[in-house]
Amino acid sequence: MSKISVIISREFLSRVRKRSFIVSTLLMPIIIVVIILLPVYIANHVEKESKIFVLDDNDYFINKFHNTAKLKFEYPSGELDDLQQRCIAGECDAVLHILGGSQGNRANLFFFEDPPLSLKGDIAEQMDEIMFDRTLQQEFQLDIQRYKSIKELSHSDIQTLQIDEAGQAETRMVELNRIAGIVCGALIYMFVFMYANQVMRSVIEEKSNRIMEVIVSSVKPFQFMMGKIVGVALVGLTQFAMQIAFVALLLFAVQLFAPQTMMGGPAPTEVSATAGTAFDGAAVASNDADLFADISAFYSFPFSTLLICFFIYFLIGYLIYASLYAGVGSATDNETDSNQLVLPISLPLVFTLIAITIGLSPQHELIRWLSFIPFTSPMAMLYRIPSGVPLWELFVSIGLLVATFFACVWFAAKIYRVGLLTYGRKVGWRELFRWLRL
Amino acid sequence: MNIIETHDVTKRFGSHTALNRLSLSIRQGSIFGLLGPNGAGKTTLIRILTCINVADSGSVLFQGHPITPADVARIGYLPEERGLYKKMKVSEQVIYFARLRGMEKKDAEKSLRAWFEKFQIESWWDRRVEELSKGMQQKVQFISTVVHRPDFLIFDEPFSGFDPINAEQLKQEIRELKRDGSTIILSTHNMASVEEICDDIALINHGELLLNGAVGTVRRQFRQNKFRISVEGAFDTSTPLPDWARIISTDSDKHATTLVLQLSDDHGANDLLRLFIEQYRIADFGEILPSMNDVFIQAVQSNSQKHQQS
Repeated sequence: MSKISVIISREFLSRVRKRSFIVSTLLMPIIIVVIILLPVYIANHVEKESKIFVLDDNDYFINKFHNTAKLKFEYPSGELDDLQQRCIAGECDAVLHILGGSQGNRANLFFFEDPPLSLKGDIAEQMDEIMFDRTLQQEFQLDIQRYKSIKELSHSDIQTLQIDEAGQAETRMVELNRIAGIVCGALIYMFVFMYANQVMRSVIEEKSNRIMEVIVSSVKPFQFMMGKIVGVALVGLTQFAMQIAFVALLLFAVQLFAPQTMMGGPAPTEVSATAGTAFDGAAVASNDADLFADISAFYSFPFSTLLICFFIYFLIGYLIYASLYAGVGSATDNETDSNQLVLPISLPLVFTLIAITIGLSPQHELIRWLSFIPFTSPMAMLYRIPSGVPLWELFVSIGLLVATFFACVWFAAKIYRVGLLTYGRKVGWRELFRWLRL
Repeated sequence: MNIIETHDVTKRFGSHTALNRLSLSIRQGSIFGLLGPNGAGKTTLIRILTCINVADSGSVLFQGHPITPADVARIGYLPEERGLYKKMKVSEQVIYFARLRGMEKKDAEKSLRAWFEKFQIESWWDRRVEELSKGMQQKVQFISTVVHRPDFLIFDEPFSGFDPINAEQLKQEIRELKRDGSTIILSTHNMASVEEICDDIALINHGELLLNGAVGTVRRQFRQNKFRISVEGAFDTSTPLPDWARIISTDSDKHATTLVLQLSDDHGANDLLRLFIEQYRIADFGEILPSMNDVFIQAVQSNSQKHQQS
């Protein structure tokens, strides 16, 4: 077995066997699944049905609230004190006291135990609606049912379609594309820095523990550096693949063992709440159209391109940063010193992250340029890919990235060779460039 | 036959000249002491021999041919500053180093087992390096230097961190390696051990060779015409001595008196014996050669003065 594969296998095994690797590999998917499922779960379970006693001094609101999955209204007779006592006794979750007089729009909501977060907003929404209906009726003498139907018909339905050079239009979900772009870009950012940092830390450890002194007499520094970088890359790919598989497994298990009862949404109730008019059919039809557009946009989403590009850009982006980080790590004796050298290298990615998170569109000229510049392209290009990127731009970007990788490895190897056995000096960028000529 | 020859090897780091036209040779099968004050260029020379650094000019021959990476694989190098992966198991670590030097995993494991048995440290096999004391780690490092059975060994300060018992064991091992045919470079500041185990030495300072040769020859080169003579009974201090002999110290017990005398350059051992043989029964006599320690200090100081003057 050649020396470099001996190095790769040590770098790989020593990391994969660590407890922290196993923990983080298992923990991340659990966190991701929880983040995905928690809101759904909370919406369905934690926010249980709240029973509201309504007390209206004007009696106008009596029997006007409609019950939903979350809210159940009752209109018991009695004084406020009496109702409050019953609330304390647990007969209801809150008492809504709508104040009388000209202040019909003001109300107090009494509760004994903390109500769900959305309770106030949900009640206010219904109150607004009831008061709006009253105004329509009293001031404009309109038939409310008719008004609602008209309003339903006036519902706009915009589909987002992207046209290509051939004039073919395809449904796209702009929001989905944008979110997928941001998520992929951020993942690249996280992974590249995480693993490049691992490389740097391990170089610094080997240098400050003087392990390098022993190793350089048997292996060429370049071999050692590449072995380490490749070893850590394999760790990254392994971890990533395991995490994807684990997330998929978890989601599958959740679907299997916790079917509709747990994850079933409140959607049907909401639809039925607006039902009951002659114009209903039209409304439902437009809903269907929405759904259809979503599905076709979903299928037109470039999953495979995104996945392939994610791996390509992650891998080469990582290789570039890892080699630079290895070079920088070899030039310093401790992590504190390395930070100031690392900063200028990491700025391009940080800049790209900011450009993406402030919401520049994927078609923005700046993002387009960033998707060509090798140090920023791993993030910027992934941000663009879901919204569609011409093939030639992709190839140019990857080509530039590969060329930069070779340049960076050459640069890093030069610094690494000198840096490894240089101790006790605080090295700046100027000195590093001097080493290139050694 | 020389295993290593350097010819006019020069190495500069920026404006600093680490080695200046250094030429020396190391006999195959000898223990060679590489001496010199801190910063003299010893480590630089060793790094050039192990191809870690490349000389700016001059040549390094290994068994007569210019040194190649294949030759370096036959070198075992124990650096002065040496470390181990703290989290790795002792055995895994040494096997890793052995494989980096081109050994097969099985061979490395077998050879390592033998060394562990020899040092009676089999129980360390599965322990992590961080659990070992400094001396224990030094032992592991020594083993990792010799585990691939190199025929040329370079030990840079091998005794540091060892207690006297372990240091003695290490000396035994070095002698044994020599018996098995290995050539050994020993770079150390421990002059007593140089006298004890080295055949030849080279003393370098400011990147230049000051002294080179067999230990006995070098010491004789620095002889100061000092003699030790023991006589039976008491020594009469009132006896006038000729002006070419001066007593440096006397030491007497019930039976004998031992004197250390400094003679002037134009007189020798025979003159001294002649002087004493008339009046005393001589019990013991010998020349006092300077220790390597004295040689080191004297040579380096006079060289440094020269450097300052120039």
